[in-house]
Amino acid sequence: MLKTIIIKELQNNLYSLRFHISFLLCIVIFAVGTIAFLKNHDTKMQEYSKYQAQFKNQLKETAESNAGLLAVNKRAFIWRPRANTFISDCKDKYFPNRFNYSAYNVFGFEVGRGGTNPFLSTFQELNWSFIVSVILSFAVLLLTFDTISGEKETGALALVLSNSIPRAALLLGKYISAIITTMVITIFGMLLSILIFLFSHKVAFTSAMLMEALGFLLLVFLFVSCTAAIGILSSVIAHKSNISLLISLTFWLVFVVVIPSTAIFWANKIFSIEHIDAVNEKIRSAHEDLNKNAPPGSWSAQVGNPFFPAHKLRADLQTKRNDAEMTIRNAYYKDMFSQLERTRFLTLVSPVALFDYANEAIVGGGYARFRNVWADLHRYQGQFLEFFKTLDAADPDSPHWYNPNEYYSTTRKPVAFEQVPVFEEKPLSLAERISFLRNYLVVIIFYIAAVFSLTFVLFLGYDVR
Amino acid sequence: MIWKIAKKEFLLNLVSARFIIGFLLCLFLIPFTVTVNIDDYDSRMRVYHVDKANAENSFNNVRVYSYLRPEVVKPPQPLSIFCRGISGNVGNRVKIWLGDKPLFATGKAAIRDNPLLNSFFSIDFVGIIAIVMSLLALIFTYDACTREKEEGTLKLQLSNSLGRYKILLGKVLGVYLTILPIVLFCYILSTILILHSPNISFSAGEWGRIILLFFASLLYFTVFIFIGLLISARLKFSITSIIVCLFFWVFFVFIVPNLAVYMAESLKKVQSYDNLQYVLQDLDKEYRKKCSEYSDALEQPNWGSFWNYFGGSDGSLLIGCTSKAQMERHRKLHEYTEPLRIDYANKKWAIQKAYLDSLESQRSFAETISLVSPSEVFRLVCTSLCCTGVGGHYRFMDRTQHYRNEFIDFFKNKKIFSSFIYFTPVPAEEFLTAEEITRILDNKGSLPGSNIEKYPYLDLSDVPRFQRRSSNVLTDVKDAVGKLATMVIVSIVLFYLSFLSFTRYDVR
Repeated sequence: MLKTIIIKELQNNLYSLRFHISFLLCIVIFAVGTIAFLKNHDTKMQEYSKYQAQFKNQLKETAESNAGLLAVNKRAFIWRPRANTFISDCKDKYFPNRFNYSAYNVFGFEVGRGGTNPFLSTFQELNWSFIVSVILSFAVLLLTFDTISGEKETGALALVLSNSIPRAALLLGKYISAIITTMVITIFGMLLSILIFLFSHKVAFTSAMLMEALGFLLLVFLFVSCTAAIGILSSVIAHKSNISLLISLTFWLVFVVVIPSTAIFWANKIFSIEHIDAVNEKIRSAHEDLNKNAPPGSWSAQVGNPFFPAHKLRADLQTKRNDAEMTIRNAYYKDMFSQLERTRFLTLVSPVALFDYANEAIVGGGYARFRNVWADLHRYQGQFLEFFKTLDAADPDSPHWYNPNEYYSTTRKPVAFEQVPVFEEKPLSLAERISFLRNYLVVIIFYIAAVFSLTFVLFLGYDVR
Repeated sequence: MIWKIAKKEFLLNLVSARFIIGFLLCLFLIPFTVTVNIDDYDSRMRVYHVDKANAENSFNNVRVYSYLRPEVVKPPQPLSIFCRGISGNVGNRVKIWLGDKPLFATGKAAIRDNPLLNSFFSIDFVGIIAIVMSLLALIFTYDACTREKEEGTLKLQLSNSLGRYKILLGKVLGVYLTILPIVLFCYILSTILILHSPNISFSAGEWGRIILLFFASLLYFTVFIFIGLLISARLKFSITSIIVCLFFWVFFVFIVPNLAVYMAESLKKVQSYDNLQYVLQDLDKEYRKKCSEYSDALEQPNWGSFWNYFGGSDGSLLIGCTSKAQMERHRKLHEYTEPLRIDYANKKWAIQKAYLDSLESQRSFAETISLVSPSEVFRLVCTSLCCTGVGGHYRFMDRTQHYRNEFIDFFKNKKIFSSFIYFTPVPAEEFLTAEEITRILDNKGSLPGSNIEKYPYLDLSDVPRFQRRSSNVLTDVKDAVGKLATMVIVSIVLFYLSFLSFTRYDVR
């Protein structure tokens, strides 16, 4: 029975105008988005390679002139453009993607200007994730809004239910067929996109990308299931299809526009953190206290004489200043992470937001990437400092007074560039991705179960006359 | 007769679910969006006052001219409550350097306290109007022809001696009468919220701009009314009509804005800002090399100790005490290095300008593509009217460039670069020779300049200050007039096409 309902509904859907328009629109956007991505990625990679070459040149110059300077110089690590942004860009360019560090510290992060144009309005790239979360979610609602109310209006529902068809089977049949119809569009779009990818020969389509694409497909299945359940819920809430449509549109607007765009407001109101001015003031005051209590001569220096006794005092003071600043900053960063995580938790009400966050684990971008780089950079900084200390220990001309900001009292000998550890970003491991994804998967499955159960309960009491 | 039809349509719409849901949507979204934006404006205003006070403080509290680096702080636009435009992407502060011409504004307008929150997009009043009003316009017009055809009333009406144009005009008027109160309600509600906010006060000009914004909104939903009408007049069934209308809506409101920017970013190549910095650093290196060669050529005094020596790579330098010969050497050095720094700023500007041009070319390409969408045209008109578009930003940056020129001219006319006051607050008559310094040190005496605090701050009453000019309504309207005209023409064409379609509409 269920199979018959699914086939009938599938036929209805596949011959409908809404399916044809959705299919056409999605396929065109899949194609245009992929072509634009290939061009965009090419440009970004050229610029990134140029940047990396210049960065390494500068690093080499410094290493071959003064290892002390190499340790204290602040450098920036910038995210490499991801080759899988055609699946989801995870708003990487709006995330803090520039990290400042030296051998002594990881100082902080910022949203790099990079290749972004400040005169352009903020936008979402036309990748698979955008197509699914905006266009396909809309298409699913259009496919499902009149599933029940529409059939009631035409009298078909009363006719169907006058036979021995259980309501559960009817609802499930309609639900499954809506999911299958949408998955057909997605799979066609993805295949077209991959074909363009393969024929362009610009970016290699690796096995890792294939796995990510499959993971994405699984996520789309869950997202579509969730959206379809919401669409059918709109249909059983109302008795007229035009009201169902309005309810569906309201749901869509709330999930796609209202919740994601009010997140900043909630973050600032409910999970507010200190203003950066207050944090800077704390740092300034801590520095002032340390300066006041520092022994006389702590600011004296003789650049040409590493063993100048005051350099030890200077190194001590600079270390204390650095430690005090980083203690305050690290506490502030922790608050920032917590603010983002709590705000994200709040926005999980929207399946679109949920889908976006889960995508970060699938493709290794966004916040998942940020946390990964942040942790790795701290590990690397420890290794770099160890490397420098070993180098310094071997230099008899160094008094070994480590100063995080100046090279006056540590080795100034050159070091071969090849020996210098350079930070390389490692992609997220499978375990890290699963750990990041786990909670989102639980929420989305719970969401589907809750919405579908509610729909089922409402449908059981639905007046089909 | 037209009025009767309009009244009938209006009354039908008024009791319909779409009116109630649309109205409720506005009732919830508009106050919420305006409150969020007022809150955002308040915090930007707070930042502005702090920045302004800091800028004033650092301007007034300098003892040498080399530390004088005026900072221009731009107040947030009050109308950004309605339309933020690019005000969130560009900063609010421009520091005047000798070694660099102002390229971008910096400051907190561009960066939130928590940069991680940047991953969330926000929406303004105009954004909500663009989404909701276009949706309402389509929802009220998608069945203008099809519903009556389905119900059979259209046939009935036309069996009388009633002109088709009268029916069409009546329907348009009816929809207008339905949506107009909602739009009016949105604006009145926003105005009330603004008037109740203690930190916001609008000038007469700004109220005038809000009225213009209201008329732009009317024009915007007119375009969508005619789109809905045309689709309705071309199709036979309401269900088909609503599906087509909604796909058009998604395409215009959600796809085109993203498509336009993404295509521009993909097809118009722009150099990375980080790579631009490397190119500029090469010029800086060249500049430093020239300075170092000049410094080496100058006679090196045999006294090399300094007291209270502070400085930075931007040319700021403060010397409390050193020998007379060293002071003279530094004076000669600055006489050469500072004008050269300005020359190099001009050299760097050629590269920076090319970069800015490429950004502008990318932006205008995106704008051209986005003109396909009425919602984007509406947004562009609103950014111009609210002074939050690129036009206003370019004008502001131009004024900072002029100000920098005035500031440099002042330094040149007063021959400040070749004076001692450029880098030391100690009067020339107090300068000591190396022997005198040694003698004082031997006697454990105090050197002039060893206590910088005792020297007064500079009298800067004659230094040119940045004159803030409020934006001209006419200039902003001029920016928007082309786009407004496009909307009018598109409306007329759409109405004409709707009329043509309706005259041939099969009412059976």
